[in-house]
Amino acid sequence: MVALSRREWLIGAAALPALAETARAAPADTLRFGLSSYPPSLQPWANTGTAALTVKTLLHRGLLMFGTDGKVKGALASSWARDGKNGWSFKLRDALFHNGQKVTAEDVKWSLEQIMAPTSTAYLRGQFQAIASIEAPDAKTVRILMKQPTVTLPLMLATPFAPVIAKGSLNAAGGIGAGPYTLTAQERGVSLSFAAFAKFYEPGHPKLRAIHMPVYADENARVAALQSGDVDMIEYVPWQAMAGIQKNPKLVLNTVDGPYMALAFNGGTGPFKDERLRQAVAHAIRREEIVAAAFFGRGTVLEGLPITKSSEFYDPKYAHGWNYDPKLAKQLMAAAGVPNGFDCTLLSTAQYGMHLATAQVVQQHLAAIGIKVKLDLPDWATRVAMGNRGQYEFCVQGQTADNNDPDGLSAYIDGTLPPDNARSYHLPTPEIHKLLAEGRAEFDPAKRRAIYDELQRVAIKVVPLAALCWRAQGYAMTKNVHGFTNMPGGLNFYSGYSLENVYFG
Amino acid sequence: MQRLRPGPVAAVGAIALLALLVPLFGLDNPLHMDIAHRLARPTLAHPLGQDAYGRDVLSRLLWGARVSLAVASSSSLLACLFGTALGLAGGFLRGPVEFVALRGMDVVLCFPPLLLALLVVTLLGPGAATLIPVLAVLYLPGFVRVVYAGVLSVRNQDYVEAMRSLGAGRLRIMLGTILPNVGGPVLVQLSLAAASAVVLESGLSFLGLGVVPPAPSWGLMIGEARATMLQAPLLLLWPCLALSVTILALNALCDALRDAVDPHGITRGRRRAALLERLAPGLLPQPGPALELVGLTIAIDTPAGPIHPVRDVSLRVMPHETLALVGESGSGKSLTGLATMGLLPPVARVAGGAAWIDGRDVLRLDEAALRRLRGATVAMIFQDPLSSLNPVQRIATQIGEAIEAHGASGARAAWRRAVELLRHVGIPDPERRAHNFPHEMSGGMRQRAMIAMAIANQPRLLIADEPTTALDVTIQAQVLDLLATLRRESGMALVFITHSLPVVAEIADRVAVMYAGEIVEQGRVAEVFARPLHPYTAALLASVPREDASLPEPIPGTVPPPYALPPGCAFAPRCRLARADCASGTLPLTEVMAERLTRCRRWSELA
Amino acid sequence: MLFVLKRIGVSVLLVWVVATIVFLAIRMVPGDPAAILLSQGGVAPDPAAVAALRVQLGLNQPLGLQYVEDMRRLLVGNLGQSLQDQTPVAGEILRRLPRTLELIGAAAVLAVLVGLPAGLVAAMRRGGTFDRIASWLAAAALAVPVFVVGTLMVAIFAQGLHWAPAGGYVSFARHPLRHLVLLAMPAATIAVGLAAILFRMTRAAVLDVSMRDYIRTARAKGVAPRRILARHVLRNALMPIVTVLALNLGSLLGGTVLVEYVFNWPGLSGLLVDAVNARDYPEVQGVVLVISVLFVALNLVVDLLYALLDPRVRHG
Repeated sequence: MVALSRREWLIGAAALPALAETARAAPADTLRFGLSSYPPSLQPWANTGTAALTVKTLLHRGLLMFGTDGKVKGALASSWARDGKNGWSFKLRDALFHNGQKVTAEDVKWSLEQIMAPTSTAYLRGQFQAIASIEAPDAKTVRILMKQPTVTLPLMLATPFAPVIAKGSLNAAGGIGAGPYTLTAQERGVSLSFAAFAKFYEPGHPKLRAIHMPVYADENARVAALQSGDVDMIEYVPWQAMAGIQKNPKLVLNTVDGPYMALAFNGGTGPFKDERLRQAVAHAIRREEIVAAAFFGRGTVLEGLPITKSSEFYDPKYAHGWNYDPKLAKQLMAAAGVPNGFDCTLLSTAQYGMHLATAQVVQQHLAAIGIKVKLDLPDWATRVAMGNRGQYEFCVQGQTADNNDPDGLSAYIDGTLPPDNARSYHLPTPEIHKLLAEGRAEFDPAKRRAIYDELQRVAIKVVPLAALCWRAQGYAMTKNVHGFTNMPGGLNFYSGYSLENVYFG
Repeated sequence: MQRLRPGPVAAVGAIALLALLVPLFGLDNPLHMDIAHRLARPTLAHPLGQDAYGRDVLSRLLWGARVSLAVASSSSLLACLFGTALGLAGGFLRGPVEFVALRGMDVVLCFPPLLLALLVVTLLGPGAATLIPVLAVLYLPGFVRVVYAGVLSVRNQDYVEAMRSLGAGRLRIMLGTILPNVGGPVLVQLSLAAASAVVLESGLSFLGLGVVPPAPSWGLMIGEARATMLQAPLLLLWPCLALSVTILALNALCDALRDAVDPHGITRGRRRAALLERLAPGLLPQPGPALELVGLTIAIDTPAGPIHPVRDVSLRVMPHETLALVGESGSGKSLTGLATMGLLPPVARVAGGAAWIDGRDVLRLDEAALRRLRGATVAMIFQDPLSSLNPVQRIATQIGEAIEAHGASGARAAWRRAVELLRHVGIPDPERRAHNFPHEMSGGMRQRAMIAMAIANQPRLLIADEPTTALDVTIQAQVLDLLATLRRESGMALVFITHSLPVVAEIADRVAVMYAGEIVEQGRVAEVFARPLHPYTAALLASVPREDASLPEPIPGTVPPPYALPPGCAFAPRCRLARADCASGTLPLTEVMAERLTRCRRWSELA
Repeated sequence: MLFVLKRIGVSVLLVWVVATIVFLAIRMVPGDPAAILLSQGGVAPDPAAVAALRVQLGLNQPLGLQYVEDMRRLLVGNLGQSLQDQTPVAGEILRRLPRTLELIGAAAVLAVLVGLPAGLVAAMRRGGTFDRIASWLAAAALAVPVFVVGTLMVAIFAQGLHWAPAGGYVSFARHPLRHLVLLAMPAATIAVGLAAILFRMTRAAVLDVSMRDYIRTARAKGVAPRRILARHVLRNALMPIVTVLALNLGSLLGGTVLVEYVFNWPGLSGLLVDAVNARDYPEVQGVVLVISVLFVALNLVVDLLYALLDPRVRHG
């Protein structure tokens, strides 16, 4: 075996160094971006994962988008305003699709209607049911009428889940968009290549002529590719590699707290029907150990609802509502009639290290207050199926809010919505449901704040999910890559929007 | 069956014992987390450091041994058991059983392991208990294939056929004859399976299809260490090291087991000529004899010291002469023959004496010189012609090889000569037969081919080791005739090793009787048979069935093994003439009459 | 002729059995392709959207109907479309298969070049220094998982010395030299374990054969040791070695996942794992079917090799 590798070594020594250099030298205006997975599908409105979202932020634009400051800004719409009690109207700018056609109000109306359609598989399908009608009074104006006042519509439209494509251009491969880049080549499972769209609406954008996205599904392979110079930039930097990248003088690490880890409960059967036991669990976990064990210290303890510190709705009063307090946890257990603990099963998955590590730490900490936890660790697909069917007592969740507004948490804390893998099963939360609806319809900022304060208070008591920690989401790049913004919190997975600003310096 | 070497057994035993005794060591709780000290380097309290959860690595390693070894051993044993049974049944019973066994395995093999694992785990739920059948199924085809291939190669051999015709039950044939023959590959497969079971366990555990965390297992440790392998490579090193050592021990054990069950009974050993002998070689040869053995002693080194299965054997064979070397099995007669050829099995060595052939002491020749001698000046034929012929070479090629090895003749000339030789030894239609493979010939024909091979270079001495034992009586007589004719024609000397006295009477001029590694009597056949001068010879003669239908008298007891020789006369315990003084002192082989030698003090009482 | 026909018949039967088992098994395993596709990244899809996708993909039809349809499709050689992006499965497999075969082939060549001679020498010098060192190395090679070997290679040659890219794939047609460079490391990684297995098997088989009577006969004939080795020992030892090699190559067809991941080599195993993880039924079925067809072909080759190596099989 030694002889073998030596032989390899010798053959390689003759040819490799020069070769590796030439093979690697890419044109200075092409960004090589290591994706974490190949987009399983490029259907414009469906959610098919983070990698697909990044690709879609290159190919498509919707009416609105998120700016690098995290605020909603106009994309295909140059301006937008509330229009009547229930409506919003949007003024389109002069923008072109990749096929050269103008983006018209008709295209926008058709696209958004596809999301609402009964056969739609769109991510926003559910939320779009709140739309009463979409009108295109002229080629440059779109009016969206909601069934009730909705302050959060711009937030929905700014996500990459609501792109506008040329009317009727939907096919198996996607559709014709109006984003900063066009798809020039793709090899399934291997790579995608993009060229700048010369007639992109924003002058001077995108700044790079081309982007090449090879896929590195294995996290170590991804890091190795960056470190050996095969790519200029990677997404989803594994936490254990962050320190090494920071130490490397040629590389830059860019991390923010984005997604969060939490526990969801089965409210239909088992011990966690009792909210006191949910509270007990929430108080029994030393969260810094999860940050340490699962994320190598790259994360932040989260003891309340996952609302970022930078958010106007962040309230220190409730931010530590589930502080580590094993004594309180024991009291709650005693009150629930199980002072000496009980046996239960925690569903997680062995396929993803962070889910596994979180489950193991939770198991250890709950054992300390007498709760004997058995781990159930199937593969991810099975885990999703079991989550959807409520085949668990409590489970580990790793998720991201839809945006940084508290409303972006609806899908994860509103137990009154139909049962779903992403939130606690059969755990009705009428108060939360009501507050979320009120918040969505309230346009006055002060009143909204009050509503969400109340929401946080209720959530701390009801524990629709027990948040554990923020996890740092990292991009890493060579020193000469500039202009990329890693967006915090719920906007993290939309960071691809800023790729139009990236340049080599 | 040989004795099992103790080293590997001890090593595997020690590993198993370690795993069993883990609870007594008072180690840290392998599940206790100490996240503040995650990935800590080794300290006194944690000699191997702490893992990603701050758990004690040493403790996890040792506790993990229990799980990993249990999973690996039970899954590979399970697969071995079922696989061997299926392979045996398929190979031997043939027909539908063969079809189902082989095609069933094909179906299994068509499934990538991951898919297979996923299926079983969803049916049974994850955990060590699920892992065992998963791994067993994965390894099953390997065993079936290996065993099946082994059965294929032996099922048509004579002895299996013979047992079948004797009406031995199929099960008995399978267990008794085929199993030992396929034992070697199966044991290797077993060690490979056990080793890769632990490695596979890591892969499957990683996918959540194996041992459920946080319980420790080596596979899980390897899987967990993967994430931090560049930060904390030691975490990977320990389980891999533990695994390597276990695999090595298992391999060694399998080697030892193989040796122990090997029907050829050859174990490890080194050929070493005794220093003294090298400095003081035997006496100078007398001119004339084709072979002269002087004081040949053969030793086998055992852990308890050397044993001597052949001691002080001296004999002389003249050209044109046939000497029969007679004795029960275990008397050392075959070893004597092999030593003369320089073909002793690796375990045995010449400890003293000389063997003069052509004026040279062959015991002191180097391998190259020996090789030139073998097959040319001195040749040998063996007992079982089928196993002694290469199954994958044509007969004439094998005979031609003997010619080519000692001459410059090309392959074509050698083939022609081989055909001639085949004709010479009485094989009908030799041109056609020359193309045959050994399994296509009858037993008698095979032995004729062996003889043809042996006489290919007109040797001065031919050693025939029980050449007719495996043949039936008619064929036996034909082969003896052939040998006698050949000897007459060529003037070569013949050493005929046999246990059969009637055969001796038929073919030999002189006879040397061996008992427990020594020659006890030597003389002309007619004289010895008419008037034996050693009680053993007399007893042997009495034990032969006679034409006058008087009952043969079996010799009581058995030949003592070379590691338990009695003092004094080795035959004394079985001798009806033995007296107290027989059990002491050394007894030389003495010429008591003209050309009559015996190793008995009381020879005159027999006379 | 009859033999060949029978063989083909058996093969078709085998493939059908495999296809049926895969069809049932993959659907028996929990996990809904539609739900998985739409809940990537831990987000919550709208249940109605999942239901709509199930209808689009035909997953709401009764199992029996799906089976009949599947088999009818397979009969005309259509492997169907991916549930994820409607790519034809056959095309995807055709793209991936040569890469995996190339990887396995290169690994097998390397392993044979190393394992066979090493096993031979170790058996000849049994108990000697070489035997001991090689046995140690083989045990270590078997104990170290491929991903460790692979990761180490990447760390040394790509990240450390910058001699080769860390991984990836370029077609031979586009860039022949770079293609071979990229092939070298993953092939060598697979070869490490394979060579260890071959080493063990060769050593055992050679030891086994060299104890046979016919080897003694050859020595008694005065045949030179080298010729004994080549003509008598190796020839007879090859059968078990070929068996084991074929078995391992067969299992590599779907089993090079980790290596493909570590070196970012887009082969068939990675496709299978991704398909299983996504519960992409047609893709899983297609890949397993292709693997089993290949396996059947490999079997045929091995049988022919047997006949070539051992006249007893030829005539028996």
